[in-house]
Amino acid sequence: MLTLFAPGLIFLFQEESRSGVMLESIKNPDLSRFLMIGALLFVIGVGGVLTRRNIIVIFMSIELILNAANLNFIAFSRYLQATGNLNAVAGQVFTVFVIVVAAAEAAIGLGIVIALYRNKETIWIDEIDLLKW
Amino acid sequence: MVLSGWEAVFFWIFSIAAIFAGLLTVMARNAVHSALFLISSLVSVAALFVLAGAEFIAGVQILVYVGGVMVLFLFVIMLVNVGAEERGNQPTMNKPRQVTTSMIFCLLLVLGLLFAINVGYRGLQKRNPTAAAQLQDQTLKPGATGTTNITTDTQRVGNSLYRFAALPFEIASVLLLVAIIGSVMLARTLKQEAAVDDLAPDVLAAESAREPELAGVTATAEEIE
Repeated sequence: MLTLFAPGLIFLFQEESRSGVMLESIKNPDLSRFLMIGALLFVIGVGGVLTRRNIIVIFMSIELILNAANLNFIAFSRYLQATGNLNAVAGQVFTVFVIVVAAAEAAIGLGIVIALYRNKETIWIDEIDLLKW
Repeated sequence: MVLSGWEAVFFWIFSIAAIFAGLLTVMARNAVHSALFLISSLVSVAALFVLAGAEFIAGVQILVYVGGVMVLFLFVIMLVNVGAEERGNQPTMNKPRQVTTSMIFCLLLVLGLLFAINVGYRGLQKRNPTAAAQLQDQTLKPGATGTTNITTDTQRVGNSLYRFAALPFEIASVLLLVAIIGSVMLARTLKQEAAVDDLAPDVLAAESAREPELAGVTATAEEIE
């Protein structure tokens, strides 16, 4: 997993090191750094969804993905505030709705997990294959 | 929007903490460990929200995610008794070929995303050079003691939420209500379903022939009749 993200982390600073503003970018992180952290969190979540067998950990990875999206919303909201946009808090308002949907999704998803465990006695997704033929 | 000084230091600390906690969430063998790492990742992201000037969202994040959703997760982990299955030395990942394919996909995804952000942000700076380089322009009013400044973030979010997003707000509350009812309905046992007279008497009789745990319910139902 770590070896997976190493090339990405090198790529993160590749452009800046060439032009010599890498240190400046680390000293003063701007919008693009927020977006990169969000992208890394998103990819970690996608990797979790694709690789894990435990359905509860898959739900947690989905929460990670939603949280990465929230980070992007907040970063852009802050960016628009700095540019003097009038309705710059729209990003924060949308984040509230994302959190609401995430909470509803977690409640329903975990209800399904409990019903599933009661009927199939398993939480491994490769053993839940009733619809597969 | 540029962070500077201690803000930058805390930005890097919390972003590295968020990414490492996220990685450990995905990699931990035990689901309880996963949940705890996810909590630390969410708290780190909440700290990033504070650094981006969204104090209200940071508070909501900690209250709803860490206080509500993660407690729910931990309860469900305890209910489905993951420990017993972990001890059997079952693999936590999918088959190696699936994992390799997903890793390649994730690698391509991270490269593509970072490339897009780099190029796109440079384009944004070129299009609007003053705005992209602009420093923190919020002038906050100083508090009573003069040591801190008062943020108006919560006020502005609430204003915007009720002025521009009143209907979505109501829809969100209906969504939460539906989610509550739906999860309660999903998690009911057969016995609980029978106990609230959800089943017709003949269906109940047929079911109790199959399910021994329903025998008590039918007996009480017959007594009532």
